[in-house]
Amino acid sequence: MIAEFEARFGPILEKRTLGEKKVLYTIMARPEDFQNMVRSLLAGQNVRLFTMVGTDERAVEDAFSITYWFADTSKGELLGVRLYVPEDKPVFPSVAQFHRGALWFEREVQDLLGVEAEGLPDRRRLILPDDWPEGVYPLREDFKYSESPPGEKRYPYARPPEGTSVHAIGPYHIALDEPAHFRLFVRGEEIVGVDYRGFYSHRGIEKLARGRLNYNQVCFIAERICGICGFCHSTAYAQAIEEAAGIEVPERAEYIRTLLLELERLHSHFLWIGVAAHLVGFDTAFMEVWRIRERVMWLAERLTGNRKTYGLVVVGGVRRDLLDYRRELVERELDVMKREFNDVVEFLLSSAGFIKRCEGVGVLSKEKARAWDTCGPVARASGVDYDVRRDFPYAAYRDLSFEVPVEKEGDVLARAIVRIEEVRQSISIIKQVLDAMPGGGILADFGDIPEGAEGISAVEAPRGENVHYILAGDRNTIYRWRVKAATYNNLQTVPDMLVGYTIADAPLIIASIDPCYSCTERVQVVDIESGKSKVVRLGVGICR
Amino acid sequence: MTKAYPFEPEEAPPEYRGIPWIDPVLCIGCGACANACPPNAILRIDDPENGTRRIVLDVGRCIRCARCEEVCPTGAVRLTAEFEAATDDRNDHVEIVELRLARCRGCGKYTCYTERQVEKVLSLIPRGILDFDRVREKLPLCSECKLKLTVLNATKFGEVEP
Repeated sequence: MIAEFEARFGPILEKRTLGEKKVLYTIMARPEDFQNMVRSLLAGQNVRLFTMVGTDERAVEDAFSITYWFADTSKGELLGVRLYVPEDKPVFPSVAQFHRGALWFEREVQDLLGVEAEGLPDRRRLILPDDWPEGVYPLREDFKYSESPPGEKRYPYARPPEGTSVHAIGPYHIALDEPAHFRLFVRGEEIVGVDYRGFYSHRGIEKLARGRLNYNQVCFIAERICGICGFCHSTAYAQAIEEAAGIEVPERAEYIRTLLLELERLHSHFLWIGVAAHLVGFDTAFMEVWRIRERVMWLAERLTGNRKTYGLVVVGGVRRDLLDYRRELVERELDVMKREFNDVVEFLLSSAGFIKRCEGVGVLSKEKARAWDTCGPVARASGVDYDVRRDFPYAAYRDLSFEVPVEKEGDVLARAIVRIEEVRQSISIIKQVLDAMPGGGILADFGDIPEGAEGISAVEAPRGENVHYILAGDRNTIYRWRVKAATYNNLQTVPDMLVGYTIADAPLIIASIDPCYSCTERVQVVDIESGKSKVVRLGVGICR
Repeated sequence: MTKAYPFEPEEAPPEYRGIPWIDPVLCIGCGACANACPPNAILRIDDPENGTRRIVLDVGRCIRCARCEEVCPTGAVRLTAEFEAATDDRNDHVEIVELRLARCRGCGKYTCYTERQVEKVLSLIPRGILDFDRVREKLPLCSECKLKLTVLNATKFGEVEP
């Protein structure tokens, strides 16, 4: 991908090498070529839109920068195309016109940075609350970290098609575990259209890293992006910083990270299989799977000190060593887990009810999966053979052998089978990690993080790729931290998956991507006000 | 399989990081924990009028990362094995350690460090290497008096014109 691109557009671009097979091109002369570049890149067989970063670089460059990152999954190459958008006319040509996967990225950059994509098919607000005033952009440098301007507005929902009625799932609904609003346009029982409104729990984490945290504190906040794949987020963040600052992580730390990443995958997939069984009304399997999941949480507690693998990654390595007695615990638990899991899967897949509810439901074709840049088990169930662990190896995955399960059908059952197979692979990976665990230190020594250094890193979370991008600021701070969670792309496909099925299938289809809304919603610290005149404020420390 | 948990105690494993607790006897009020805390669960609040410093720990905001425990110079902050944080009063989540600020030897105002910090620093200085009593004499100085003393010393040695 890089060689072809270089041959075609190289002369008019400024090139910057970030790492092995990682380059960034900056458009200097003719911004009108931008769309052609993106088109030619996306025409590649295995090229996907990795992430998109909008940065307020007015302090340095007198412009906003928009960077599209592309990944060639067959060659393991990463390529960024950076476009500078002038401050007085913040407009750039939209990519979402011809590549749907870019839609949310462009809506987000329009919301948070005030940079508009010309020709964007859906110009509505994505992230900011409905009552946020026009023309106030929280990610700009001149916006105060603590501000929260008042306003009043209603959200322009899509108009239901003729002869249909609206059935709302969310923001709070028994079939959803986090706030999200799906407006189903139904004719009788059949879903004919869907409108999605989310980002009800945006937490301002990117701004937090810019405004208040130092680079090592971010690790612990990054973990809180997601309730399940927290370790993946902090690892991806740490890797991005390590790449930017050129820190060599000790091998033992990488192996420990791998072990915990896989433990987290086990946890997440057990959770999902349980939820799926519950949503089809098969609660015995649900309880059984969650009983096994408890073993993973117990193990995480012994390994990391927290039931959810929290607080272990720091920039440069990990904080706790895998002592011999802990290693024995892992080995013992894994054997039990493997045996019990095989029994449960046999029990689950022999249930005709479960199969009937899942088979042929929520089908996502390979073309659509590629058009939306889906990732993780959702993409793999639709026949997209892509796994960050194999295609962009990080931590210890280079030295380990594992298979990437791929299915063709693209229905809920295929997604379940991909996850079940991944659980088996994870167990085998953990065994290999334990066998090959090298000695040595677990934390690297390093100096300052050079100003202006950039790093981009991805981690295969249980749901797909988590991409973290870092632009270092002065005095060891972070200038821009961009998080793209797996659900960000997967959630955009849900409306496509829902159309054509019945309301009864909707919760299962939504759950089948294993949605994690908080992963997607990264911004806003909230003051909780309770009852009457009593105000309970978090974070002030003294309560009155 | 089912446990009678709320009615019989459940113990956390030895590796567990539970609710943090500040030992008020050991705490010197340096605020290293407040600097390290990612979610701002620990705050350092000075009252220069009354001469007190409060280290305020809000367990409701704590994420149990144990960074405070790592940076504490006296081992005052410890993460306990306690995990039950449910309460109907948010004040139960707040622990406050109040310490006296040291008075400046020059002007008599309160400085921006505590008496215990001064003691700690003095205890760290090895006797015999430095003129201990002279250091003892100068130590609790506010930043203004320190500045004045520096200028005074500089003029004494002819570095700056008086």
